[in-house]
Parts: sequence; structure tokens; C-alpha cells
Amino acid sequence: MNPILTFLVVLIGFYGLSTSDNIIKSVFSVTIIESGVILLFLNLGNFQGGSIPILSEDLVSIVDPLPQALMITTIVIGSTVTALSLMLCIKIFHHYGSVKWKEVLARKDVKS
Amino acid sequence: MNQLAVVLVFLPVIVSIVIYLSKWRHMNIVAIASQLALTIVAVVYFTHFYGDFESTHIVLGGWDSRIGISLANDELSMSFIFLSLFSWWMVLIYTFRFGHTEHSFLFFLIFLQGVFLGLLQSNDLFNVFVFLELATIIVTILIAYNKKGESFRSALYYLIVNVPAMLVFLTGIILVYFTFGSINIVALTEQFQDVDDTIILRFSYVLMMAGISVKAALFPVFTWLPKAHGVAQSAISALLSGLIVKAGVYLFFRMNFLYEGAGFAYSDFFFIVGVLTAISGVMFALSQKELKQILAFHTISQVGIIMMGVSSADSDMFYGGILHTFNHALFKSLLFLGAGVIIQVYRTKKVGEIRGVFKTMPVVSIFMIVGMLSITGAPFFNGFISKSIIKYGLAEQGWRYWALYVINIGTATSFIKMSQIFFGPKTLSYPLKNMAQNVAMMALAFGCVLLGNFYIPFSEGFFGIRVEEFDLTSFDVLLDYGITVAIGLVFYFTVIARDLKPVRMIRESRISFENANLVFLIYVVALTTYFVFLS
Repeated sequence: MNPILTFLVVLIGFYGLSTSDNIIKSVFSVTIIESGVILLFLNLGNFQGGSIPILSEDLVSIVDPLPQALMITTIVIGSTVTALSLMLCIKIFHHYGSVKWKEVLARKDVKS
Repeated sequence: MNQLAVVLVFLPVIVSIVIYLSKWRHMNIVAIASQLALTIVAVVYFTHFYGDFESTHIVLGGWDSRIGISLANDELSMSFIFLSLFSWWMVLIYTFRFGHTEHSFLFFLIFLQGVFLGLLQSNDLFNVFVFLELATIIVTILIAYNKKGESFRSALYYLIVNVPAMLVFLTGIILVYFTFGSINIVALTEQFQDVDDTIILRFSYVLMMAGISVKAALFPVFTWLPKAHGVAQSAISALLSGLIVKAGVYLFFRMNFLYEGAGFAYSDFFFIVGVLTAISGVMFALSQKELKQILAFHTISQVGIIMMGVSSADSDMFYGGILHTFNHALFKSLLFLGAGVIIQVYRTKKVGEIRGVFKTMPVVSIFMIVGMLSITGAPFFNGFISKSIIKYGLAEQGWRYWALYVINIGTATSFIKMSQIFFGPKTLSYPLKNMAQNVAMMALAFGCVLLGNFYIPFSEGFFGIRVEEFDLTSFDVLLDYGITVAIGLVFYFTVIARDLKPVRMIRESRISFENANLVFLIYVVALTTYFVFLS
């Protein structure tokens, strides 16, 4: 996969963020941006015909192991962020009865 | 000995988990004890390495230093470490009664300290990203801690605006890794000295700066800050405004030190962004009616002043900016903690409805006045020192000097408006006397006055800069401050107090969520245009 294509994935995420009014959609846009960034990093470390970076007898051409190690961390953080934002979405829906940014941000807080 | 750097990160993390799991009722004593231990470790570490910070570099796990996790310290990070220890002391003391019952609150608070100290010490770029992202997540939970609808929506707004920015920052790191094959900052600093100026390198700088700008709440991308800082608990707001915003400013210093070899640092672009940040922060602060909103917008304006200082190659101004980072942490924490007490007693956030604070709470009022004098730059208070150093640097530069002057007048006006809460008769008795809150505020107020009068040994000891050459005690200086306040008074009574139409318009102007993200994209494009195509 071409690095340019991964860049397009990132741009699709930003397109979603800057056009959608829906909170759930913006959470998923963030996930899409993250996938794009992860793909970009893995791509730049990869090359055609490289083997998996595990120590063995025939170590001829392995791909760069560092991006994979780092991206595992990024994926873990990303899943945390997604879980936390979806939890907050549920809470916001309970409090405001809506998942539209415009309605949620415009409302005065009800005394509870 | 340099293993102690790891203790600074893991001691708070482990203690926080113990606090969370324990059922003992006095866990806040454990928190204070661990904070004491942490302070002792930091002091021992600092005295051992003082003057020789080269040898603090440590690579964990025995990996190659170019790719492994590594920690290192220098004067800048050590001074930030002491600043954050002090801030956490104050917040822990302030929330002493609250933390009594809320173990999960203490858990997140102390965990955040470990993460923040890790961020300050981290010497590889990827760990900077990890710590920054962790801090973002924990801060989100702390903002939402009140469990009101308002705090949930602000927390989600904060998270969704910040995470894409962090991912953009990560993309910058990726580009650096594929240019140099290393993510170690110390190693990269050497490699940057003789580097070819390529488009990839410039683009990596742009992406990193875009991410950092959101964290530091610079001009077009500060929309999350007033929302988040306005609704969080006062102690958390103090921490966020005083310190967590400084994570962005700190990384701005770090990355500019790194890219200095490639010739990117000290750009006029960030001076202009700083001016716009400061002016827009002051403008919005003038129009607000809620106590904490005013303070939150002033965080933006003060970050703008810091950026005006540090974007310059003039070393005095640069150190003025760094000093202002510290001074701002002290007086903004003080103001937020004081505002927290006032809101607690009066049960309203509206400036217009709070009157007679001085008669009701004389002690708290004195602390608040110290904070207000500091932020407006009154002589003998700490805000004055750093603002004057920046002002001296700009003295011969035409519009730049006047821009700072206008910002100072705006700040003065805004705090004249806020000081209206002190006047008036005693309206209610002050039922809850909380000693711990007063102690925390007293320490911060003391710090403000101390730094305002004994700034010379401080700035020499930490940064090795000499500030005696600035004449900061003359009559001119007092006159200058008097004029600023006088113009501020006139401006307040003619425009702000009457709540004219432009003021209302600024207050009611809103930017939708989608457009806030669009503005971020436009900001990235502007940075790219300036740094990749124009220079």
C-alpha cells in the first residue's frame, strides 16, 4: 500500500471530523485518523519481500521491527481513547438526550 | 544514581494504585507521604547532578540508545519537575478534605503526576507521545469527574480535539525516524547539526508544531481550553491552567532546541501567533461573565505572552518567556484556587452576582489580590519581572512593543472587572473555614511575592542568566504600571461595565465543533505554507 494512500485515509478522518455534527461519527473519525497514521508508519518500515522480524536461522531480509513495536503501543492507546469517548457519549446522551454536537454544546446545563 | 529518574516516574504510579485498591479511610495521608518522598528524591537527584546534567542520560532495558526508552534531564526539565512537584503539593493540600473520601480522585491525580514527570524527563520522541496521550486521557477523566452533563461534554470535546492533534504530532515523529533512523533526542540533537534541509524535515517540524500548538492552546486552536478549564473542579482547573497547558509550552522549547541545528527555531511566525493568541484571549476574557471563564481565557492570553517571549532569538526575551511560564503557574493556580473557595461559598459563578467578598472572606481576598496584582504585572510581584524582561526586549521594535502594551491594558481592565467582587457590604457569613485551602493559597501567594522580589538568585541558580542589568525598581516602572491601570479603569467604565453591543457580540460568538476542526486543518496548512514553501 502506497504511503500516499495512507495519507488519504488520514484526510478522510479529518474530513469526517470537520463535516459531521454527530458525536459518534466524530469518535470514529478519530479512529480512522489513527488507523491512517499506524498504516503510514508500518508502510514506511516495510518493503517488498521482507520477512517477519523474528530471530531465526535465515536472517536475510527482515522488515524494520521498531515501527511494529511502537505501533502496538499506539493501538493500545487508541483503543483506550475509543472506549473512553464512547463511554462519554453514552453519558452525554443520558444527560442531553442527543448525540448532535450543536444541540449538546448549546444547551444550558440542567441542575441535577 | 541516575536510576532515580525512574523512581520519579514510578513512585507516583505505584502509590496511586495502592491508594485506589485500599479501603483505609486516611489514604490522603499516604498521598502526602508519597509526595514528601518524591520531593526528597527529586532534591537528592538535583543536588547530585547539579552542574553536570550530561550524565543523567539513562537507557532502560539495555537496548541500543538510538531506539530504546531513555530518560535524561537538564536545567529546563529539572526546573519544570520542581514546579510540578510544587503544584501537586498545593493541589493535594487544597483537596485534603475532599481526597479523604474520594480514592478514585486521588488515584487519577497522583497517577497524572507520574505521567507528567515522565513526560518532562523522557528523552525519546515516541515516549513523549505516549506520556502526552496518557496525560490527555487522565485529564479527560478528571474534567468529567464532577459527573454533570456539562463536564461530560467538555471532557469529550477536550479528548476529540486533542487526540487528532497528538496523532499529527506522531506523524511528525515518524518522519523524523525515517530521516535519521533514531528517536533519541540527545542523539538527534547531534545529527541535526549538519543536516540537509529537506522537505520531509520541514514537514516533520510543521506537524510537530501543529500538535504542540493544540496542547499549548495557541491562537486558532484554543477552543477546548475555556470549556475544559471552566467546568472542572477548581483544584483541577488550577492544575490544568498552571501546569498541564505548560506541557505544550515545554515541548515547544524542546522541539525548538532540537530543530535549532536545522535552522528552524526562533521564527517570527510564532511571535505573530503569540500576539494573536494573547489578544484574542484578552478579548474573550473581557466579555465573559463567569469567574472561572475569565481566568481560563487569561490562561490563553498569558500563553500568548510566553510565546511572544520565546519565539525570539534574543536570549533575554527567551528567558523572560521561560520565567513567565513559572510565574504564570504560580499566580494562575492561586487565582483558580481562590475562585474555587469563592464559588463554593457564594454558590454562583457569575461575577455580577458576587459582591462583598472582602468583608466576608478577608484572608482569601488578600490572596486573590496578590494573584491579580501578579497577573497584571504590578511591581514587586512575580508577573512583573518576566513581563518587564519581555518588554525590554521589545522596546525598540515598534508595533511589537505596543502590542504587548495593549495586552497589558486588556489584562488590567479584565482584572479591574473581576475585582468588583471585593466591594460591597458583607452579604453572608462564611460558614466553612477550611484551613488546608488557606495553607495552599498562602504558599502560592508567598511564592508570588518571593519570586517578585528575589528573582535574581532564582534565575541565576536555575538558568544561569543574569537579570541585574534590568532596572526594575525605578520610578518609571511604577508610573508605567499606574498609566496601564488608569487606562484600564477608563476602558472598564466606558465600555466593559456598560456591556456595550460589541462586548455582547464577542461573548455570544460560538464556533461549532466541525469548524473548530476545520480551523485546525487551516492552521496546519498555514504552518506548511510558512515553513515549507516560503522560507
